[in-house]
Amino acid sequence: MQAVIQTKKLGKRYGSFWALENCDISVPEGSVSALVGPNGAGKSTLLKLLVGLKSASSGEISVLGKEPVQHADFLGDIGYLAQDIPLYKNLDATEHLKMGVNLNKRFDAEFMGKRLKDLQIPLDRPVGKLSGGQRAQVALALALAKKPKLLLLDEPVAALDPLARHDFLSSLSQAVADGGLTVVMSSHLLADLERVSDHIVVLASGRTQLCDDIETVLKEHKILIGPRKDERELGEGLTVIHETHTARQSTLLTRVVKGAKVPSDWQQHEPNIEEIILAYMGQGNEGVVR
Amino acid sequence: MNWFLWRQHRKNFLVIGILLALYTALVIPTGLHFWHTYQHALTACAQNPADPNCSEPQLGLFQSSTDQLLFHLLPVTILFLPIVLGIFWGAPLLAREYAEGTNGLVWTQGTSRHKWLTVKLTWVLVATAVFIGVFAALMTWWSNTPNTLNMDRFNDVFFSSQGILPVAYALFAVTSGIMFGAWFKKTMVAAGVTLGLFIALALIAVPNFVRPHYMAPVTVVAQMGPAAVDSKIPEGANWLLSRNIINQNGEVVQDIFSSAPAQCQKIIQQMQIGTSAGGNRVKAVPGGGDSIDACLNKAGWHQIATFQPSYRYWDFQRIEAGIYLALTVLAVGATYLLVLRRDA
Repeated sequence: MQAVIQTKKLGKRYGSFWALENCDISVPEGSVSALVGPNGAGKSTLLKLLVGLKSASSGEISVLGKEPVQHADFLGDIGYLAQDIPLYKNLDATEHLKMGVNLNKRFDAEFMGKRLKDLQIPLDRPVGKLSGGQRAQVALALALAKKPKLLLLDEPVAALDPLARHDFLSSLSQAVADGGLTVVMSSHLLADLERVSDHIVVLASGRTQLCDDIETVLKEHKILIGPRKDERELGEGLTVIHETHTARQSTLLTRVVKGAKVPSDWQQHEPNIEEIILAYMGQGNEGVVR
Repeated sequence: MNWFLWRQHRKNFLVIGILLALYTALVIPTGLHFWHTYQHALTACAQNPADPNCSEPQLGLFQSSTDQLLFHLLPVTILFLPIVLGIFWGAPLLAREYAEGTNGLVWTQGTSRHKWLTVKLTWVLVATAVFIGVFAALMTWWSNTPNTLNMDRFNDVFFSSQGILPVAYALFAVTSGIMFGAWFKKTMVAAGVTLGLFIALALIAVPNFVRPHYMAPVTVVAQMGPAAVDSKIPEGANWLLSRNIINQNGEVVQDIFSSAPAQCQKIIQQMQIGTSAGGNRVKAVPGGGDSIDACLNKAGWHQIATFQPSYRYWDFQRIEAGIYLALTVLAVGATYLLVLRRDA
């Protein structure tokens, strides 16, 4: 699979503060990638760098084979939903559709119109007066009607109630199922991401902590439980991500590279993706693990 | 993207359209009325030159408070239009996009930011120039009568409210509003700074400290005596910058009576005594005004006036419009830098 997004040592600095530093990610074509990390980890910054709304301070960045630029050809292939889903509040859904036609060379107005109708969104009411869920659907329809190759979503479901969230994610899954679309979506709601994504990027403190297929991630991580042991050297191919200790027992969330042997004195358990993500998110400044 | 821009700004067009209609409804009838009244008075004076009104500079016309109010209010109104546009159209133009995050929406559509900005600025600036151009044309036509009667279209608010200047002011006010909007990303801040800058520049600094120096003023020197200096200034709408009495040391005199040289003080006292005694007037000196003037002339006093002659009116209009258009270009350039080079 080809990488739609590839960054190398990507960095973004605001004054003396590095919001993103040495960020290496790779997102394969056709994947739905979950971008997770604590507040201030640099998720929004990364997404804005990818769509060219911000420019990088250091490192390399390649999106759809190009460096992000303020150019119609580049932007035409990308759908982007900013945080808080900004729309023109006094314009109605139909007018947003017309805007899409106005501002894009390639825009499937019919698709958007049908989609809004199917979702029973009031077409002639200013979007400022729609519910949060309806607004999110209008924004998603607008982004999808561009027929983008890459869709970048910055916490699209954060403000939505559970039902609206469910509807939004269903719409998204359906669009992905139609094919030809790669999605990167940031969120705090791990359970939701797990439902729709097959790839994961964990950012913490401006650095990539994890970037891989969810399947691989699940396969390569084990919870090891054994007698108390403070040193973290377990052997070749084993990296401890997170450890908890009681007086007599150590619990280690460990990355086990394919083929590596786990010492027989450890009990092995399968962690779920949420446990793994939380372990990486807590890792913070302890260095990049890939 | 023309439909989209029209949709975003049609309210502004509507409001300006209404203002223009109201203005036209006020300007056309009053302008016609003033002009006809003036023509009528001219005809009457030609037939009956003895009428005392005909010797008045304004032919005794338009002395009512309503007329005087109109004469001053309408030019002031048009002077404030540019700043109204700058605050209500220029400042929110980009600031609101930044504040509501819609810049992230519109800049990720399949249109480059550069093109989006260019089309938007072109629309807004052309519309501003056309709208204010109509206002200015109306005002220039309307001012014909007061110009003729007062002969002061070169002065203050009358200068700024006619010709091509209102258009230049408006372009400057709107673009600086747009630029500050992009800079501060907040409408209120941008509007405040735009207002402050416009007042400081267009209402205070330029008319008082810059405009008089566009071209070296003409200086006329005359002896002491009533109307001696005025008679050397050609007729017409000149812009009088200064008129002073200069003493023998080349200093500007504030009070003639207290600073007159000793030999003239006597005559002054004599005159004062004479007049207070009643009837015993100071004897006139032939050919040199009265004896005080003759004395002062002898002492080396004279009068100096500086002014910008009326034929420079359009030069001044062009120079000042040029300054504001240059500032407009600067503001547009800065806006491009702010929008294209800065992170969203």
